[in-house]
Amino acid sequence: MSEDVRELTEEEKADKERRKIKSAGAMRELMTKYYIEAKGAEGTKRHIAWITSGAPVEPLIAFDVIPVYPENHGAMCGAAHMNVELCEVAEGRGFSRDLCSYARGDIGSAITRGGPIGGLPRPTFLVACNNICNTVFKWYEELARFFDVPLFIFDTPFVRGELPEHLAAYSVRQMHEYVSFLEKMTRKEYDDARFVDVAAKSLFASALWKEVLACNEHRPAPMTCFDAFILMAPIVTLRGTQEVVDFYQGVLEEMKRRIEEGIGILPSERYRLLWDNIPVWYEMRNLGRLFMELETCLVADTYTSAWTFEGVDAEKPLESMARIYTEVYLNINLERMADKIESLATRFGVDGMIMHSNRSCKPYSLGQYDLAKEFTRRTGKPALIIEADHTDSRWYDRAQVETRIRDFVENLLGSGL
Amino acid sequence: MEVRTIVEECLELWRDPYPRLARLGEEGERPVGVFCSYTPEEILHAAGLTPVRLMGAVRAITHADAHLQAYCCSLARTDLDMALAGELSFLEGAVFVQTCDTMMRLSDIWRRNTGFSYHGDLVLPIRMGEEVSLPFLIEEVKRFRRGVEGFLGREIGDDALEESIRVYNRNRRLADRLYRLRASRPGAIDGLSATACLVAGFWMRREKHNELLHGLLEDLEGSEPIGGDGKLPLLVSGSVCTTPDLFELLLELGADVVDDDLCCGHRYFDAFVDESAPPEEALAKRMWERVNCPAKHQCIEDRFQRLVRQVGDSGAKGVVFYLQSFCEPHLFDIPYLRQCLQEELEVPSLVLESELQSFSRGQLRTRLQAFIETISGV
Repeated sequence: MSEDVRELTEEEKADKERRKIKSAGAMRELMTKYYIEAKGAEGTKRHIAWITSGAPVEPLIAFDVIPVYPENHGAMCGAAHMNVELCEVAEGRGFSRDLCSYARGDIGSAITRGGPIGGLPRPTFLVACNNICNTVFKWYEELARFFDVPLFIFDTPFVRGELPEHLAAYSVRQMHEYVSFLEKMTRKEYDDARFVDVAAKSLFASALWKEVLACNEHRPAPMTCFDAFILMAPIVTLRGTQEVVDFYQGVLEEMKRRIEEGIGILPSERYRLLWDNIPVWYEMRNLGRLFMELETCLVADTYTSAWTFEGVDAEKPLESMARIYTEVYLNINLERMADKIESLATRFGVDGMIMHSNRSCKPYSLGQYDLAKEFTRRTGKPALIIEADHTDSRWYDRAQVETRIRDFVENLLGSGL
Repeated sequence: MEVRTIVEECLELWRDPYPRLARLGEEGERPVGVFCSYTPEEILHAAGLTPVRLMGAVRAITHADAHLQAYCCSLARTDLDMALAGELSFLEGAVFVQTCDTMMRLSDIWRRNTGFSYHGDLVLPIRMGEEVSLPFLIEEVKRFRRGVEGFLGREIGDDALEESIRVYNRNRRLADRLYRLRASRPGAIDGLSATACLVAGFWMRREKHNELLHGLLEDLEGSEPIGGDGKLPLLVSGSVCTTPDLFELLLELGADVVDDDLCCGHRYFDAFVDESAPPEEALAKRMWERVNCPAKHQCIEDRFQRLVRQVGDSGAKGVVFYLQSFCEPHLFDIPYLRQCLQEELEVPSLVLESELQSFSRGQLRTRLQAFIETISGV
């Protein structure tokens, strides 16, 4: 708290500068360029598709369609503390406050063109994939009515245990259908060579991203997962392009250099924690400060690794991608999620876990109480559940959450229990 | 049996089905809990099990809070609470049809924390009514059947399944006849009684319910309307009505429910299973083409236009939306549904949310009264 008030000494300033992640600047440039291009395309002949964060974007890139991500925009509105007013617009139109705040904010922004960048460019069509939640297709149905544009739904039913063949086959049929839909929308023919090229770049970027995240296995960790939440924007929105590959190559080099030089993200790292769920976007700065004060580094999370794809068969990119997109983290049963959490905990050597019980995200949050218990049973480490909402700060009680985090770190971790 | 006696018994079941369910075992039945109108009950029935619907209960939560957050619907919370409290021990198990995100996670939580011997999962596509999803759905129904067979330790014969399909189709025909009778002969039976007689079937063997409905219809069709005209006609839309309170209050306040769009009502018995097709294919096809739950994306008939048509046909002067708090699929549709009703029919609507752990009849009454007065005043 006192850091807000006290002037930093020259030495402290230099140290802070040394710890700062330089790639964040490159990322801002990349994302600014992307949003300028996307917004500039509105009203031109270029196609713009609004797409959900877990949907296969590679076909869009291969068809030269500009992908636009309302969820990324929602995070941006949340971080800029502008999402509540957008939510209120949607609520004024009859949308319940109990609906996902990304969806409410997005509907509000579509109506008013509000938010830090003056709203998103109007879509020519929409693509929703329910591998992250079933909220998205209801949300996109509303967008399809609002903009009066076609909606393609890539339906990925829930996977229990191993991916069954009939489900994989359903996904593959839809991947082909998706391509036909794009041919119709863009009046272009599918070009296999182009798709393979995009898929390869996407995979390459995703492999680099995975390596970037793995750098945090090192002590002290070169970044926190709050940095990863920021640095993930390009892998979510633009994977499949060369720029993204170049960008993550740069990030990886920086992380490796930090490790070599022993530069941790925190001045002092006593505890290492795992984070579960979407960030509390409007609270990143305050939470970041709190964890720094508590000498606690959030070294890994279940969220950013959702964009590390594995097992793509270069010979059959469409087919293998269809399978991969069906088996993402939020579309699998609790036991498989527990396996993933356990593996992250082991790899990153964490002392405990903080779970964000996110009012706006049921598939991510329901089951967390059981997962927390399972985590402790398997690893012997404690877990804390905090209540919040990813972009609706009206549901957030800062004093209460901070006290709980403090107690957790100071008492539970500090006592070595 | 007299109409009044039948209705009374059904109402009693609706108010609290659990004491009756607890006795089913003594009568040699093997109850399995089902939550959703998409459950292929015919497969359970053919296996000699008795599907019984779990629609939550008005109660304080004592056990489920350790597993489910407060922002999840009270159906999931109260059903899980009863299971964890050991109050559903008469069940052999339950079937989880994955319609929404809550049901998808509830299945795992239920399986991990209760000790029932049977646990069924049926994963549905959301793209209903489109060619691309049908083969998947058929395979899921087959997989579900194999799961039940695995639990039984024996196969379910096609003959038995076809017979169960006939029993359930008869049930749908009878329910449809009841609804038609109500529509064609105002005053023959009120909405409360008709719905009670329909939902009572959720808690008894289907053959028995068929007899009940058949007897009721014979009596009603042969008798004069008992009056009750002049009540304000309304339509109720939403998910399930755990208790008869809403319908009772409407009657008390001078209104009557003339049709519904509920998954414990009209949506439950909509569309038949094709008796000439292979059974799993036919069961899948019905789910795929029936009027959809808002948790599904339907391409055959738009849910909005269907509701507008239903309201128009039934002559309802208002629509009461009765939803579970936190139910995203329903809540997303509300603004547009209300807009369609207003713009196309100038029919006003009221949105009520149900939270079983803090159920207040008094509050429900106040809001309904105000709504009815607004319409009647026009």
